[in-house]
Amino acid sequence: MLVPLRNQGVAMSVETQRSIATMRMPGGLGGLLPALILIGLFFVVPVLALLLRSVTDPAPGLQNYAALLGDGTYARVFFNTFLVAAVVTIVTILVAFPVAWMLAIMPPALASIVFGIIILSMWTNLLTRTYAWMVLLQRTGVINRALMATGVIDQPLPLINNLTGVTIGMVYIMLPFMILPLVGTLRAIDPMTLRAAALCGASPFQAFRRILLPLSLPGVAAGGLMVFVMSLGYFVTPALLGGTANMMLAEMIAQMIQSLLNWGLGSAAAFILLVVTMALYALQLRLVGARRATGGV
Amino acid sequence: MLLDYDRMGWLKVALLGFTALVAAFLLLPVVFIVLLSFGSSRWLAFPPPGWTLKWYQELFADPSWLEAALTSARIATMTALLAVLIGILASFALVRGRFRGREILRGLLLTPMVLPVVVFAIAIYAFFLRLGLGGTTIGFVIAHTVLALPFAIIPIATALEGFDKSIEDAAIVCGASPLEAKLRITLPSIRIGIFSAAIFSFLASWDEVVVAIFMASPTLQTLPVKIWGSLRADLSPVIAAASSLLVGLTLALMIVTALLRRRFQT
Repeated sequence: MLVPLRNQGVAMSVETQRSIATMRMPGGLGGLLPALILIGLFFVVPVLALLLRSVTDPAPGLQNYAALLGDGTYARVFFNTFLVAAVVTIVTILVAFPVAWMLAIMPPALASIVFGIIILSMWTNLLTRTYAWMVLLQRTGVINRALMATGVIDQPLPLINNLTGVTIGMVYIMLPFMILPLVGTLRAIDPMTLRAAALCGASPFQAFRRILLPLSLPGVAAGGLMVFVMSLGYFVTPALLGGTANMMLAEMIAQMIQSLLNWGLGSAAAFILLVVTMALYALQLRLVGARRATGGV
Repeated sequence: MLLDYDRMGWLKVALLGFTALVAAFLLLPVVFIVLLSFGSSRWLAFPPPGWTLKWYQELFADPSWLEAALTSARIATMTALLAVLIGILASFALVRGRFRGREILRGLLLTPMVLPVVVFAIAIYAFFLRLGLGGTTIGFVIAHTVLALPFAIIPIATALEGFDKSIEDAAIVCGASPLEAKLRITLPSIRIGIFSAAIFSFLASWDEVVVAIFMASPTLQTLPVKIWGSLRADLSPVIAAASSLLVGLTLALMIVTALLRRRFQT
């Protein structure tokens, strides 16, 4: 009689321990507390305070927004920003697609070399990469010299301090962000679908246009949207490779705060950037779902 | 046969050629900067008229470079520690918790990755001015941890999703306390995720320019702020020397990562 009882006792205690295990912290909400305090206090509050400032500084009202949206100079900055982001996105997609395609089907040894180069470029300090482009694209830089030496041009091309420079520098930075997710999309396509197309008499071009492209479109759209959003708010590369005549939004915001100390106007411009970014992010969530959009969580 | 590597014919040749070109494009600035740092021309003529180490000598002769690098290393290390710690706790809740609004909270914690840094930079700058935290190490660490947190949560949560919780439960049934089971069973099993989180959050701080430009004070400069200041002044080859050392560091980090991954997997 004693033995089963004792056994029952052990079973009970395991049962209790188990329920403690599932009740205790990291399973519940408690583990989120430090993260929520950090993000709430040092992200949400400061950003909201900034937005409040856009309608109270220097006086309550919407005059900052009226000034931003009514002025031709600012309109030009908005236009430039969208133009550059759009061009960068399109070029990045066109360059990234064939590379991702090859990476998806290459022998692993060869692919790992290319992946290594992509990671090296991505992990190298951002300012280092931008500095290299500043020197490469100069009037007397290597690229102009090479083009002139080979007789392609007689005059150095203006490659820096304009939108050309910004576009080259930005495409360089965005390429890994487009290539890496696209490889995943393309690897997920069943090669049999293309074999079937070929068997049914499709030409390679038809197979590409009617099968490979449509099947990879979700990945292209998701990556493209991410590149577009990142480009819209990019600060460093446009500030260093762009000219003063065609400033982009992030640089303008920084300048309004740092040099002009115009907090009202600066925070209003920041709010516009925030709204556009978040709207596009929401669209991306719709397109691919929260997990894919943020890289798998 | 568009996804069949061995049967693509001329298309494969064309696409491989294009891939090689893009790889060269990606490699170009990195290789160029290293070569440039050994070139003797102060005006960055390339190919250089001769080779020299004087830019490295100039770099090491100026204590402000080393000081900035040490400041960056200190801030990035603290950021990585904090982000990984907070990230582990948050990931357990996000992956295992069953409560309402989980998706929204997940989205909120990852927002700093999506919002343009410049918006956060001026917001936290204004906030810290009021709190007196501007230009302090603790201010830097807090701001960078906010930016690094998504990069810590993503790999840890992904690893945790792939971990079979019944192993942890088995440890508890065998008499381990829940905490013990997590420390001795679960955390070691998701170490690849934790390790990636540490690297990514370290890099998120080490490479961070925009917040740093606003937060920096004359007495507290991170390495990117120092480079930024020099870039705006001139394109001196000393920056190339500093940049080359950073490239070396990146390579070392990549090799360590590859080796550790291999060890973890076997």
